[in-house]
Amino acid sequence: MAPAITLILGGSLLLAASLVLKSGKARDVHGQRSGMAVASLVLLLAAAILGWIRVVPDDLGQGLFRFDASALASERLALLGGLIVILMSWSTAPRAHLGEYYGCLIIMIGAVPIVGASNDLVSLFLGLELISIPTYIMLGIVKSDNAGAEATIKYFLLSTFASSFFLLGISYLYGFVGSTNLQVIQGNFATANRLTSLALVLVMCGLAFRVTAVPFHFYAPDVFEGTSLTMAGIMSYLPKVAGFVALIRIMGTGMNSQTLEIVVPVLFVCSALTMLGGNFFASAQNNLRRLLAYSSVAHTGYLMLAMTALLRENADPNVLYSYLAAYAAMTLGFFACLGEIEAAGGKTQLVGDLSGMFYRRPAASIGMTVCLISMIGLPLTAGFWAKFLVFMGTVAAGTKDPLSIAMAILMAFNAVIAAGYYWRVLSKLFENSDAYVPLRVFRPSLFVAYTICVVLTVVWFFVPAVM
Amino acid sequence: MTLLIPLLILLPLVVGIGIFLVGSKAESLVGLALGASGLVFALSLLLMFQVCGSAVPDSAASGATIIPRVEFAPEWLHIRLPVSVGGHPVYWHLQFGADGIGALLVLLTGIVGFVTMIMATLQIRERLVSYLALMLITQSMLLGVFLSMDLLSFYLFFEAVLLPLILLMNGWGNKAESVAASRKFLLYTLVGSVPMVIGLIGIALQSATPGRPSTVSLELLSAIAKESQLAAINAAPGDVLNSVSILANKDQWIVWILLLGFGIKLAILPLHTWLPTTYTVAHPNTTALIASVVAKLGVFGIIRIVIPLTPLALSTYAQMLFGGLGAVAIVYGAMVALSQSDLRKVLAYSSISHVGFITLGLMSMNSEGLSGAAIQMFNHGIITCSMFLILAMLEQRRGPVSLNDENCGLASIYPKLAVMMVFFTLAGAGLPGLNGFVGELLAMTGMIRVSGLFTAIAVVGTVLGAWYGLRIVQRVLFGSNGDAKSRFHAQVDGDLKATEFVPLIALACVCLFIGVRPQDSMDLIENDIKRIVSVSEPSAKAVHSDIDQLAQSQP
Repeated sequence: MAPAITLILGGSLLLAASLVLKSGKARDVHGQRSGMAVASLVLLLAAAILGWIRVVPDDLGQGLFRFDASALASERLALLGGLIVILMSWSTAPRAHLGEYYGCLIIMIGAVPIVGASNDLVSLFLGLELISIPTYIMLGIVKSDNAGAEATIKYFLLSTFASSFFLLGISYLYGFVGSTNLQVIQGNFATANRLTSLALVLVMCGLAFRVTAVPFHFYAPDVFEGTSLTMAGIMSYLPKVAGFVALIRIMGTGMNSQTLEIVVPVLFVCSALTMLGGNFFASAQNNLRRLLAYSSVAHTGYLMLAMTALLRENADPNVLYSYLAAYAAMTLGFFACLGEIEAAGGKTQLVGDLSGMFYRRPAASIGMTVCLISMIGLPLTAGFWAKFLVFMGTVAAGTKDPLSIAMAILMAFNAVIAAGYYWRVLSKLFENSDAYVPLRVFRPSLFVAYTICVVLTVVWFFVPAVM
Repeated sequence: MTLLIPLLILLPLVVGIGIFLVGSKAESLVGLALGASGLVFALSLLLMFQVCGSAVPDSAASGATIIPRVEFAPEWLHIRLPVSVGGHPVYWHLQFGADGIGALLVLLTGIVGFVTMIMATLQIRERLVSYLALMLITQSMLLGVFLSMDLLSFYLFFEAVLLPLILLMNGWGNKAESVAASRKFLLYTLVGSVPMVIGLIGIALQSATPGRPSTVSLELLSAIAKESQLAAINAAPGDVLNSVSILANKDQWIVWILLLGFGIKLAILPLHTWLPTTYTVAHPNTTALIASVVAKLGVFGIIRIVIPLTPLALSTYAQMLFGGLGAVAIVYGAMVALSQSDLRKVLAYSSISHVGFITLGLMSMNSEGLSGAAIQMFNHGIITCSMFLILAMLEQRRGPVSLNDENCGLASIYPKLAVMMVFFTLAGAGLPGLNGFVGELLAMTGMIRVSGLFTAIAVVGTVLGAWYGLRIVQRVLFGSNGDAKSRFHAQVDGDLKATEFVPLIALACVCLFIGVRPQDSMDLIENDIKRIVSVSEPSAKAVHSDIDQLAQSQP
């Protein structure tokens, strides 16, 4: 647990530091900004080192936390996302609330490994709430205009609503087994009845909100539009990772056919609605933020399809983790590019604002191009393998159930619809005109952030095994 | 193991990317790009001679139907995925190699690439260096498809061709429409190719059994496929129908999904609507490359993957459906070509018509038909490329060419160009002695053993083909002495220059050579076709009992 503890303790320290930071008349905002970002990076580095030198025992035990492959993968995903997000925050964090911002952010990053390692319903819920509560605070402080307030309230209300779904579900699970230990619960899946299925569906509802699945996606476009770019990037990544890791944790393996008969169709319908809804709404959008929100919804749909394959075939959860890694690189990379354009004085609210951006800001535009190609899923980018692995999992499950293959084909057509609107953004970047003013302000942190993303996106294509 | 293959793929790629990075301002790089393209042409010739010279592989040993005669498959070239299938970690070796069919298409890419690059230096006025760089990258991706010997690298290159092509269409096409047209091209192609990957994964996963990890190597897969298909066909007499239909049903979805992808690239009839827009909006020089080589990717995919790996499922329904579509496409394309007045559109629809012959040959699934299809791929590539290049030269001199300006009489102004145009029109119409005839005749000979009706429709198409060909010649070249009615009289800048004339003459020589001595090119592909037919023909016969009725009734 050392990395997670480091991050959460460190985050609390940063929160406490905010008391000191605000006092003093001659406060050096720029110095504080860099100082906080560097402190966060140091915390992250410490957590990474602690995770790296950790010796995992052979017997993982039955306790509150278990360090199996899922736990390690979620830790890596959290640290990767955390690195990029902190770099993005360096120049975009709200000046008045630096301590609170970085404190909450670090706690969020630290909570993802807690969810990933949880072997108990209580610790799992604790981890999930450790992500939600800082999110409310951060949404509130990054933007203080009306749209920001609307986004905060909307997210807060819906999130508590979803948490209650989740709690209801796990209370049924507890009632069914008499234990909150996940291994015990999963051991009893073989004798599960309809009540268990109901409990699992309720849990899925609760988590569907975190991963922005239809019909729990309504907040996403409003929140993405209302909040800052960096925050939108955080919201599109960290809760999604936590949600899917929690799903893998709870659903696990060993369900009997009676439970699968209910859970898998629910996931199928949810996944189909999520990708169709996400893609169709995104195609109709001219607002870039809302488009990105819906595109993140669509990616959730693909991930849920991978989840069904995982439940039935006992396939590697690596399919999901690889997808999430590729997703981190391409989505956060895209947000970082947008962030740089905005920091340099450009507008990024509408798709049309990007018109001719290649001639104004070539580096960020090339970064966006790579990320968009990855989101379409074309070769030479990690996005290709992400989709490829989902297809592979689904086809493997499809040897017994043709419906699974049909879902894979549906996903393929969805990827084409998605290619349509990504291409719309892409062709805007290279639109020709002579009347553009170049944007010259340079933000090294954002540049480094998207360079990391772009490099990872391309490198992972050649060595998908390390994704 | 030969280094020729990686060199063929990497040389244009590295030079292309290098030029792209160095910048578009440096005019001196034109020579480098042309040199690289010439070198690729030389290497493709060399590869063909190597394939010809290498020993004919013995298929009895492995039972494979696809065996490369020149191979590049080092140990380190593999891909490892973070998942496992059936208890085995996914560890796929990537292989490259060339058999006769592959070598033929590599040669086609070499020739067409070189010629279109030479012509581009005369045609493209803006950002020439970037254009040449993108052409080189496209060539590299195409060569990658033709040289890959496993499903994965095949698909990767197949998809990657899109990226440079889209840029070529977007940057150098008809300004007003190019964005919309390239988007249509991208989405249309993706509709086919994204689902296709599911079919390919299906094939790869089916090869995995408890004792055998999954593979993507075409050689192994084709051996597995041949074994299972022949086992089903030769099952106990009472059981044949049953075992055949079980196997056919199992692979059915794979066949349809692959045919959707390849059919769109091939522009078979109901899936052809991207083709006229793309061909008319892209620069004719780009179109020459797209029409002659890129459109062949679909045919190549069917002959490389669908027919050898899933013949039984293919022959159940799709063989007759696609055969029929091919026959209808021949007539439909020709009729639409007859009713168009824009020369670009006429050529685009004539291309649809010609591709119909290739489909007809493929779907006969016997040796005549498949050889016809393979040869026709090459022939059609050469002929279409020349026609679009001639179109480009005409447009450069006179603006858009419309057949409605009757009696253009261009023959009297550009006699050399007129000679070449008549030559290639006749080759396209299938005049005996030129290359178009060989492929079309073989394709129809193959098809008549399967379906008399489709062949009859195709024969009508050949007549229409001659008709629209001669219509082009008549309207554009003859009818007046040209001076009086030329709207662009002031811009006329003379007949073909030597740099334009020589490549066309060279292409014409290729046409003539194959037309007069088809045996040489047949020898190249004969063995590969024979091996594929050893599994495809029994499959077709097992499903359709009436095949070869015509032949049997007249012994």
